[in-house]
Amino acid sequence: MLTQSQYDDYKFVCRLDHIKTFHAAIKSICFSDFGTLQASEEGLLITVEQGKSIQATIFISPSFFAEYHIQDSQSFSIKINVLAECLSLFGLADCGIKMLYKGEGSPLLILLEPHDDEQVSTECAIKTTNVEEPMEYELDSNSSSLNTIFMRGPDMSNIFHELDKAAEEYELTISPLKPHFKIATLGVMQAESSVEVAKSSDMIILFNCHATTVAQYKSQQIRLTNKALQVATKVAIKTDASGLLEMHFMMQSDAQEEMYVRFFITPLLDIS
Amino acid sequence: MKFRAKMQDVLYMREFQAIVATLAKLAKDCVMILAQERMHFIVNEDHSSTSSPLVWASIAAKDYFPEYKMSPARPDHEFIVLAMSASHLSRSLAVLRSGSTSSVHSCKLKLKMIQFPCISVIASVVSPSSSESREVVHDVPATIIPSSDWAAYVLPKVPRAEIVLGLPSLRLMRSLIDKLKNIAPSLVFHGSAAGELNLVSESDMATITTRFSRLMPYPATKESQQVASCEEASCSVDSRKASAFFGALQLPNEEIIIGIDREHCIYLQLDIRNNVVLHSILPAVCI
Repeated sequence: MLTQSQYDDYKFVCRLDHIKTFHAAIKSICFSDFGTLQASEEGLLITVEQGKSIQATIFISPSFFAEYHIQDSQSFSIKINVLAECLSLFGLADCGIKMLYKGEGSPLLILLEPHDDEQVSTECAIKTTNVEEPMEYELDSNSSSLNTIFMRGPDMSNIFHELDKAAEEYELTISPLKPHFKIATLGVMQAESSVEVAKSSDMIILFNCHATTVAQYKSQQIRLTNKALQVATKVAIKTDASGLLEMHFMMQSDAQEEMYVRFFITPLLDIS
Repeated sequence: MKFRAKMQDVLYMREFQAIVATLAKLAKDCVMILAQERMHFIVNEDHSSTSSPLVWASIAAKDYFPEYKMSPARPDHEFIVLAMSASHLSRSLAVLRSGSTSSVHSCKLKLKMIQFPCISVIASVVSPSSSESREVVHDVPATIIPSSDWAAYVLPKVPRAEIVLGLPSLRLMRSLIDKLKNIAPSLVFHGSAAGELNLVSESDMATITTRFSRLMPYPATKESQQVASCEEASCSVDSRKASAFFGALQLPNEEIIIGIDREHCIYLQLDIRNNVVLHSILPAVCI
């Protein structure tokens, strides 16, 4: 077992006592082959992209970890589904996890130790590849059209669950006037359905909207947020006149420490 | 040729049912070898398409069956050898499992000739609503293997191994191997005489090593050729075969004995109780 002094060899070391929340977060962004890990003093970012239209990032602050050591900033790419497989090796049994990285070219080491059986431990060495710089998306925080909604996670999850799953497009409307927040679906056979949430609803924690924004998204891409939504305690939805959709999913560990998963989804072009 | 046997103990009946259910998960057909003192089952799905390993069970007849009578076809024969569908046999015994809804008094196995030879499974069951017992009878068609063909149905021998370890956490091992089969097609068992077992699964993208430490070492049953005392041994096997064996287990036992015969095979032994043992052999594969 590694002792404190042996960390010198490693440029990045972190440890979690309970794997559950981390595992759920990783699973929620497993929609593409490769993921990029960026570790710095500010914390750990794990980014996954598909095409140039959807990006998901997990944010974990150093305080979320039981231990967090970093030399310089480190970034590398790994196969994200391999990481997810490794984290699920012990199934539902609760494990402690330690991640170690020596620097460019070396594998990411993952040590798993189940809490209920001290005589068993697993070491996974996952090959790393060169970084593929993630795209930078940003919403202008000074824009007059920036709209923000905070909602309770389980409520939002229920709404999405009720939407027409065969629909091809979702349209999100956020407006200072009624209906405040509306999700409409457009299906293959021109079937339409919509859900409206008033800003006075108990589901909504914060509603900040100055100008009406309407944008359409591919339902397939919106549905990629499903796994994150299912485990989120709070959800933030942000968008502006450009239609770029930013969603934040807050996940809480049993110890009430928080981690975020952020999605950026680009809107469909308005052809009409 | 005659055979009849009777079980009465609830625990033994359930165990017997669990053994047959395990075999039924592994293969379509099983071979039942009835000897004077023991009853054996062998499953060996020898088709290239399936991934089931060779598994056999040996049961001390007197333990499970207070009444056990076997008379072979000819006095100079030692056995009766039967082939039958494992799932049919398993289904006929399923009634022995239902504990809370009804209780089973006894279960008889009988070799019978109706229009064809069959093993008749007769369970005497008492429902909670009535005091009268009823009989649940299943006739499982069987093929009698003539003595001229017995050579093909010899009970496998327990292979000799360089390292033998007792592993106490079967459940963990089982879920682990189930996951590892998705990672790489082969799985390396690496054991040491000091009581450590490493399971290594290696693919292009990752190497996963799981260490089981402080295991109980058993004396080696085979001396290594190079050195007098063997410190460690490893063998690579088909991970789907390994997973098929562990996934099929229906028994509550938590300890399994793993023998490693370097570059030949992995031998697995589950001691259900003294004299009732489930064995399996996973042949080595080239990496």
